[in-house]
Amino acid sequence: MTVYVLCFALFLIGIYGIISKRDLIKIILSVGILGYAANLFLILVAYKKDAVYPILTQGSVNQPMVDPLPQALVLTSIVIELGTTALLVALAVRLFQKYKTFDITKIRRLRG
Amino acid sequence: MKNEGMTLIVKTVTRITVWIIILYGFYIILHGHLTPGGGFGGGVIIALALLNVMLAYGRDFTSRWLNISALEHVESLSALLFLILGIIGMVTTGTFLANFLSKGELFQLLSAGTIPVLNIIIGFKVALSLFLVVWVLTSLKMTKGDTA
Repeated sequence: MTVYVLCFALFLIGIYGIISKRDLIKIILSVGILGYAANLFLILVAYKKDAVYPILTQGSVNQPMVDPLPQALVLTSIVIELGTTALLVALAVRLFQKYKTFDITKIRRLRG
Repeated sequence: MKNEGMTLIVKTVTRITVWIIILYGFYIILHGHLTPGGGFGGGVIIALALLNVMLAYGRDFTSRWLNISALEHVESLSALLFLILGIIGMVTTGTFLANFLSKGELFQLLSAGTIPVLNIIIGFKVALSLFLVVWVLTSLKMTKGDTA
């Protein structure tokens, strides 16, 4: 149960960063932390006590294995997160070229 | 532009290690159906090796060392190859991406039907797209602005 609470705390740290930070780079990092918390939650759901990793190697005996489905899902999720981060960074660079700042309180002219 | 890239120490270490890193990436890709790893993991390792060269030697050297437009074509072609393999499976057995090669013997390097082939294709796709994303991002000029 403690690990789920800690995972939720990581999630809250991400949300806190997105809401309260003024630097665009810090906001992008917070989105990353949010994604890590979501991935960690999926992996924790699949966890089984005293189980081995779900890969058959040569000479391995049959043992209880953790659920491989969320792990495959999280791999896809990591790739999507990478794409999201790349898009956010590209948008941040464009905003910097336009406004010469990463401070979101100074990025307020919608025209021009 | 005389002293482009990082210091001599970084350049020398990069020259030694980059091929080892690329070899390790290919090892992870080729053993994807036997051990943990596979196309994505190995592709990321190869992309990081290429980025290592870019960070240590600078963009100009890397664009002379690698043919960037050819890499873009290989990256697009790998997605097409994946689709073609899927369609071959559909034509021969009736299901998309179905296995049409011999499954071979368990735990051998040449086994598991089309999975190693797909791993190699995914490895190229991941390696080149990861590298090219950072390559395009670094091509954007950023001038000094106000302190936030």
